[in-house]
Amino acid sequence: MPSQMADPALSISNLRFRYAPTGDWTIDVRSLELAPAEQVLLVGRSGRGKSTLLTLLAGLREPDEGEVRVHGRNIHKLSGAARDRYRGTHIGMIFQTFNLLHGFSALENVMAALMFTGVKRKEHADRAHGALDELGIDRPNAPVDQLSIGQQQRVAVARAVVAGPTVVLADEPTASLDPEAARTSMDLIQGACSRHNAALLLVSHDPSMRSRFERWHDLADLCAQPAGTGAGGEG
Amino acid sequence: MALTDGAILRRSLTSRMFSTVTTIATVGVAVGLMIVLLAMKDAGRKAFDRGSGTMHLLISRDASPLTAVLNGIFYANAPAAPIQWNEYQQIRAAFPWAWAIPTQQGDSYRGLPVMATSEEFFTKFQPAQDESWEFAEGEVFDEAFEIVLGAEAARMSGLRIGSVINLTHGMPRDPSAHVHEEYDYTVVGILEPTGSAHDRAVFSDLRSTWIIHAHDRRVDELGTGIGLTTVADLTDADRLITGIYGRVATRPGSDASSAIQQVFFRIRSNPTFTVASPSDQISKLFQIVGNIDRIFLAMAGVVVISSGIGIMLALYNSMEQRRRQIAVLRVLGCPRNKIFGLVLTESAILGMLGAVAGVLLAFVGGQVASAAMQARLGLVIDPGLPPLTTLNVVLGTVILASLAGVIPALKAYRTPVAENLRPLG
Repeated sequence: MPSQMADPALSISNLRFRYAPTGDWTIDVRSLELAPAEQVLLVGRSGRGKSTLLTLLAGLREPDEGEVRVHGRNIHKLSGAARDRYRGTHIGMIFQTFNLLHGFSALENVMAALMFTGVKRKEHADRAHGALDELGIDRPNAPVDQLSIGQQQRVAVARAVVAGPTVVLADEPTASLDPEAARTSMDLIQGACSRHNAALLLVSHDPSMRSRFERWHDLADLCAQPAGTGAGGEG
Repeated sequence: MALTDGAILRRSLTSRMFSTVTTIATVGVAVGLMIVLLAMKDAGRKAFDRGSGTMHLLISRDASPLTAVLNGIFYANAPAAPIQWNEYQQIRAAFPWAWAIPTQQGDSYRGLPVMATSEEFFTKFQPAQDESWEFAEGEVFDEAFEIVLGAEAARMSGLRIGSVINLTHGMPRDPSAHVHEEYDYTVVGILEPTGSAHDRAVFSDLRSTWIIHAHDRRVDELGTGIGLTTVADLTDADRLITGIYGRVATRPGSDASSAIQQVFFRIRSNPTFTVASPSDQISKLFQIVGNIDRIFLAMAGVVVISSGIGIMLALYNSMEQRRRQIAVLRVLGCPRNKIFGLVLTESAILGMLGAVAGVLLAFVGGQVASAAMQARLGLVIDPGLPPLTTLNVVLGTVILASLAGVIPALKAYRTPVAENLRPLG
């Protein structure tokens, strides 16, 4: 068992997945590793399986081959509730359409991310308030449906980082935003991950994002290259 | 304060308020119906047991013992044929009675049945076990042409002590019925409610009834202008009764049922008499009615099961709308079995709220039905809900609702996460 200090936040090796049992591989990633608190961009054209990859990394889908380690644990070796709780504790997710719990307040949405972690109940409200304050939400008790799109995204970011995850997986978080809003949004996401020492793997179809990351990969190249070398560049 | 399972359930129920309220109402109606039927079943039997009170046997010339009981105790109709006074005296003398009280029915006052009887009806017979007659006002009749009103009869007629009325010879809808305006009756007593059919009756003494009937006979024989008939004008043919309330004398420690059986069979050896044991006849009546009861209960059971199916459909359909919410909770670390438990709990809560609504409905419905039964039939039905029956129905409903939640909960359990996180397109 490797020591916790040396564990990468996320490591992928020989990960393969396809929807049809005999079709082409939708995902065929030889190797990818994110150091703790490292921020990596994964670009790829639409339909190349970026979202599929994130669901594999979050343990929401079973790979056909290979393994995904989050904070040193092979997430697909964990079964049932243990995997769910591990995901809740170590992985934060941000979606293009936020996927907030409608009918619940901003505060409740953030506290929902603490329900299934080891964080003590009496700390939930304080931590959630802290995360929302940090992201500039001044109406924590407002139902999320009554917040602006920008505020909803802030709530989604707060929810992703509040439990202190090892890694945050962001799926096209700026796809539906104009360039100015996208810039602000990226500042928020990257800033929040940095402050919470969470690694960030962000997938996007937008190559212009590369300048914001020290490391990026094109999913297509990543799949084609031998293990360990990666593909892409450094910003 | 942390977000709890309870908060998630509450939001889930309130976010679909219309569906939640209609589902609870459906369950409530079904549970209310079930509780009322179960409660009324026992309460109805108890109500019918009142009225025969401390009587062992009822003797009449009705066509059957059940008819005798329905006519003689519940005032359903006027008994068909009379018993001669000398026959009554022979029966009274021939058996070891504690008391044998003559009764005569067939007259009425504005639709209320008149029971002519002796003072013993109030001093010896009790309308319910260990409950003697109580007078709200006045006292039992002492003279001819004095009457006592049952509590309900007083309420319905509006008569008071000292009111003067004229009785009708014959029952309502009887074509030969006519009012005896020549004989005034004075109200001298009003009874407290007894919870029996006697509450609807008007009581007079036998002599008065014989006199007004003898007057009819004399007018037929001698024509009008004969003056008022008095006791002196009565013949044996005028002294008729229609029933005898009898209680067999028993010694403490002796077998009362054996003594009653002996009297019963000996009187019945005269085929012109009908002898009825009221408690036996009421049991038989409830055996007949019991089958209908079972049909009603079965129907109520079907309604309860239908309401369970209603819960299942409401939740099952809501699962379609909640796929994304379930997927998000799973992403946040909520295990599948927790999702299963939440849906099952939601179903049980719907059942519980429906059951509580049903108990309230049954309580209100019971009060209304009880008031209606008392007003129309004079039967006092206890509107209280039997605690054990109510508890069983509530628990049964919660269990049924939980079972109804299994299929929606399985659907939620199996909700694929990745597919439901995609942007809506």
